[in-house]
Amino acid sequence: MILHPGILALLGGSLLSVLLLIKASGLGLTILLRWDGTSSSEQQLALEHKTWLISSLLNAGLGFQIVSGVLFLATVEAIHPLFVGAMCATGTLNANLVGWLVLLVKGLLFFAAALWVIFNRLDQRSEDAPLLRPKYLALLLITPLAFLDLTLQYSFFSGLHPDIITSCCGSLFSEQGQSVLSELAALPPVTAMALFFPVIAIYYVLTLCCLRSQNALLRYLLFITVIVAFFIALAAIISFISLYLYQMPSHHCPFDLLQAHYNYIGYPLYAGLFGGTLFGLLPGLAAPLQHHPSLSAHIDQLDRHWLWISLIGMTVFLAIALWPMLFAPFTLLRSG
Amino acid sequence: MWRARLYLTATLCGILTLTALLMTGQQPNDSADKQQLVAAFGLTDLALFSEARYTRHPSQADLFTAFQDSPGAIDHFPSGSLVVPIPGSRTRSITVLKGER
Amino acid sequence: MNRQLKLLEYALAGLTRRKGKNVALLLVYAFTIAALGSVLFLTDALRSEARQTLDHAPEMVVQRISAGRHELIPRSYATTIAQLPGVRQATPRVWGYYYDALVRANFTLMGVTEPETQIKDLQGQLPAADNECAVGIGIADIFGATIGDSLVLVDAHGKNRVFAISGIFSAHSALLTHDLILMPEPALRAFFNLDPTVATDIAVSIANPREITTLAKKVRYHLPDTRPISRSEILHTYDSIFNWRSGMMFAVSVAALIAFCILAWDKATGISADEKREIGILKAVGWNTGDVMAIKFWEGLILSLSAFLIGTIAAWLHVFVLGAPALTPILKGWSVLFPPFSLQPVTDPYQILVLAFLTIAPYLACTLIPAWKTAVTAPEQAMRS
Repeated sequence: MILHPGILALLGGSLLSVLLLIKASGLGLTILLRWDGTSSSEQQLALEHKTWLISSLLNAGLGFQIVSGVLFLATVEAIHPLFVGAMCATGTLNANLVGWLVLLVKGLLFFAAALWVIFNRLDQRSEDAPLLRPKYLALLLITPLAFLDLTLQYSFFSGLHPDIITSCCGSLFSEQGQSVLSELAALPPVTAMALFFPVIAIYYVLTLCCLRSQNALLRYLLFITVIVAFFIALAAIISFISLYLYQMPSHHCPFDLLQAHYNYIGYPLYAGLFGGTLFGLLPGLAAPLQHHPSLSAHIDQLDRHWLWISLIGMTVFLAIALWPMLFAPFTLLRSG
Repeated sequence: MWRARLYLTATLCGILTLTALLMTGQQPNDSADKQQLVAAFGLTDLALFSEARYTRHPSQADLFTAFQDSPGAIDHFPSGSLVVPIPGSRTRSITVLKGER
Repeated sequence: MNRQLKLLEYALAGLTRRKGKNVALLLVYAFTIAALGSVLFLTDALRSEARQTLDHAPEMVVQRISAGRHELIPRSYATTIAQLPGVRQATPRVWGYYYDALVRANFTLMGVTEPETQIKDLQGQLPAADNECAVGIGIADIFGATIGDSLVLVDAHGKNRVFAISGIFSAHSALLTHDLILMPEPALRAFFNLDPTVATDIAVSIANPREITTLAKKVRYHLPDTRPISRSEILHTYDSIFNWRSGMMFAVSVAALIAFCILAWDKATGISADEKREIGILKAVGWNTGDVMAIKFWEGLILSLSAFLIGTIAAWLHVFVLGAPALTPILKGWSVLFPPFSLQPVTDPYQILVLAFLTIAPYLACTLIPAWKTAVTAPEQAMRS
């Protein structure tokens, strides 16, 4: 199974990014041990140079992670015809349950690496790099995660056994009983809607308030809301957004959206949700850093950017999700 | 700035060409005739490799046709190395029933 | 935005100043991408061709297995199968292979019963009389025959039999019919000296595709010495074959990719004295390490993006316009009759994504460290050297 080009690319890419991260964390470790911001020795200068290498390694690593996340979904989608009973990516992931873990780890890695890169940018803007230690400690946590991603991915793909015709004498038919599940269990649409719309409304109110005020508390609230909204939005996609997008009352798959048949609508949908969530987290995370004098001016400036990007991302997500609800002939819930 | 502009224009042209090339294949295709042919004669395979029956009709062959002469024989057709979809397939050639004596 | 545009301008200027080195790198890079891309495009197009055309194959084909081998099937089996509820029709078919010693090629001979519809991909007519046949374009070409000419084949008794060519399948359908010879079923039975009570296999037409699996089980239950092959299995086979094949070729080409990365690494590491001085001056006039690394990043991106575009377009032209001449010898093996690829240019954006990830990522990764080494050069040291 490993010899599928997409799988080769994924495993190669993961291996590459693990290597980059190992190199980066090795350098990070020496910096953690030897860094002395006040010194102007030659050794310190070399360490400062190394921070540039680390950030460039991490930027590349993050880029690979984002692309490989997309590629993973696309590959899982592309190989589903090899499994009897699989209609889309869900079928492939169910064929070897490790796949769901890979997806989870990839999600975590995306957020971890993106946050790292953004805070690294912020830190590099300041003169005295106050985030240096937490940054490199975090790096030491991201690297094992990337390694976990690689190993899980390998065990997922090597554990997939496609059903090939050459299996003798109709052994395929006798194995129908174990054929993979194709649907996910979902929340009832009414419950999901009752959760989804209020949370999204709270998110919008909070973001707009944050744009007007500098209050740190609002940002903490936004941070929590965004996390809650992210999970509720994922549940909502499975529960009712997918139904509207497919115009079918019983099709809950969150991955079919990524197929050409649906014009790849899932990609902007998920990009909006993930981007909106990521940038919605930032103001809350950056608020406690305000007390660093060298960072606070930069944070004030970036804060608005982040809020706007988050708003745009969420709005893209919402627009795609709501469009068929409002304008398509399909009705899921009859009113009145 | 002419270099940057030129480069960006050229790259854009390249991307557009590539997209256009990719789009040509997505049009409604002309395979209806071929589908009719397949349906009329009940064809099951592509006429890609005609040197052996398991390469000419891979979907009609079974797992060991490549080793017709003896189970341990190494396949002697070059395309056999490309055609035979061995990896990952579940071979149920031997079933041992225990405790039935 | 404007800053990035200026950095791009500077990076381009830098690249053009070192023209020879970069053009060589670009060409090698584009060539690697084109080679990998051709493999991907070709196998993907073959796969989608199989998926599209074979989608109309019989819902189920029933073979008889005897002593572990495909054996002729009694025609009475067809009656048994036809009586199962849900089966629309069970047609015993006769087909087989024929080795022609003259041209040293294998042909596939198929018996046709009564042709119902007009076949659009056939020039001329389907064989009506017992001494007529319709052939694929490959056979017509290898003998240099046209409609009206005669084909001489040696039958099971060792006698020469003459068949008049009544029709030739168009080149358009070569991927399906290249080595095919169709003749009336009675004529083929006589040719192969087959007993009238047997057939090669049974094509089963099933009204409801959801019942195929159930019917396959029933066939196995009633006729335990058979092997039913469903249409979805045929499609599976082709999916697996081409995934495996392109994966194989890919794995082989990875060596080329690694070689290219070593070249790129080497080129990126060995910077000239001029380049070193240039960086020294930049830093002396106030650029910081980040800016120089941004330039290096832009250089890498320009190179890989251009190489990717050139390579992919070249691969597309190679496969879909020229018919993949560079890959045919690898695929061909010992086939004497190998169909020309007149493939539909179907390319999945997924293939592009795979190709991009597989080629651009290693290049960027292996130029990171050399770029950093260049960027941290101290100005006075650089200018002094």
